[in-house]
Amino acid sequence: MTDPHQTEVFERVVRPHFDRLYRLAWRLAGSKHEAEDLFQDLLIKAFGMLDELVHIEEPGSWLCRVMYNQFVDQHRRYARQRMHLVDEGHLPGQGLADLPGNLDPVGDRERLEKFRRLDAALQQLSEEHRLVVLLHDTEGYKMEEIENMTGIPVGTVKSRLHRARARLRQILDNDGTIS
Amino acid sequence: MNDRHTMEERELLDLLKEYPVPEAEAGFYDRAVVRAVHKGSRRQRNRWMLAGFGSAIAAGLAIWAITAMLMTTPQLPDAEPTIPGVTIAMEQEHTVRLVFASAEALDSATLTVSLPEGIELAGFPGQREITWETSLQEGKNLLPLTLIALTPAGGELLARLEHKDRNRTFRLRVDVS
Repeated sequence: MTDPHQTEVFERVVRPHFDRLYRLAWRLAGSKHEAEDLFQDLLIKAFGMLDELVHIEEPGSWLCRVMYNQFVDQHRRYARQRMHLVDEGHLPGQGLADLPGNLDPVGDRERLEKFRRLDAALQQLSEEHRLVVLLHDTEGYKMEEIENMTGIPVGTVKSRLHRARARLRQILDNDGTIS
Repeated sequence: MNDRHTMEERELLDLLKEYPVPEAEAGFYDRAVVRAVHKGSRRQRNRWMLAGFGSAIAAGLAIWAITAMLMTTPQLPDAEPTIPGVTIAMEQEHTVRLVFASAEALDSATLTVSLPEGIELAGFPGQREITWETSLQEGKNLLPLTLIALTPAGGELLARLEHKDRNRTFRLRVDVS
């Protein structure tokens, strides 16, 4: 039987971070199905550690770090399987199918097309470069926050970011997305 | 840094900043909390039982019966393998794509797909097990499987790849809505 007080405490600690965590899950996993699994696994783990969680000064950062570590662990396990299920988010540009299209149809189409090209360009980066550029340039995490979350030193984050941007510029310049 | 480079960098950063993420489905957060509380409670109970066991040993108590029980307690959730899943609609074709990653090109590999009762592979009516001989390229090989649910039961699909004395089995949970 679950203690309703525990549930209430849990919600109070974690709920303010849900949107940020869901976005992070999407950035890490790249598909809805996996992002939801990652998010769910994190909450299960966090609830199991509620006694510790309530004493953590910055639960948001802690939750991000745990999610990242879970992702890395799952990813390693997944890579070892050598046989995978691919859902739409793994195919460049297809993960954007879930986006709401409530702008004017023409402008929206152009915008979506740009994001599709960006998505395809991001798929051409190595995973470590893609992650850094998404965390820093898209999600707005600071260098120190990325170091804290991933354990990658700031100097390495900077150099990966520099290389990732250069490669993206090159790809998107070649296909005319940026000029 | 020249002007063109600066402009491109600015354009790229603007694009990245706006690069969207779909929002969570309505009700997803609430459902996730309910599941976490349910499953997390089980985990807490397991941790407390293990902690209690440690204390008892420290106190020198002979609790062999409890030891035996703990040894057979189901694994903590973390140790359960994650099985990917798909949800498909009744009597509608749904294509799932499996990727077989191979370190080298393989000739004459055997691929066997075993289906749960009530799920069929399009083009193979009534067959629960289908076997192909196939060649794999080095790198990723994509296998689309078109599934049709004839009953709402769902179950587990197995795809087994064999080559000489090596084999891999992929499990996919299929739910029917």
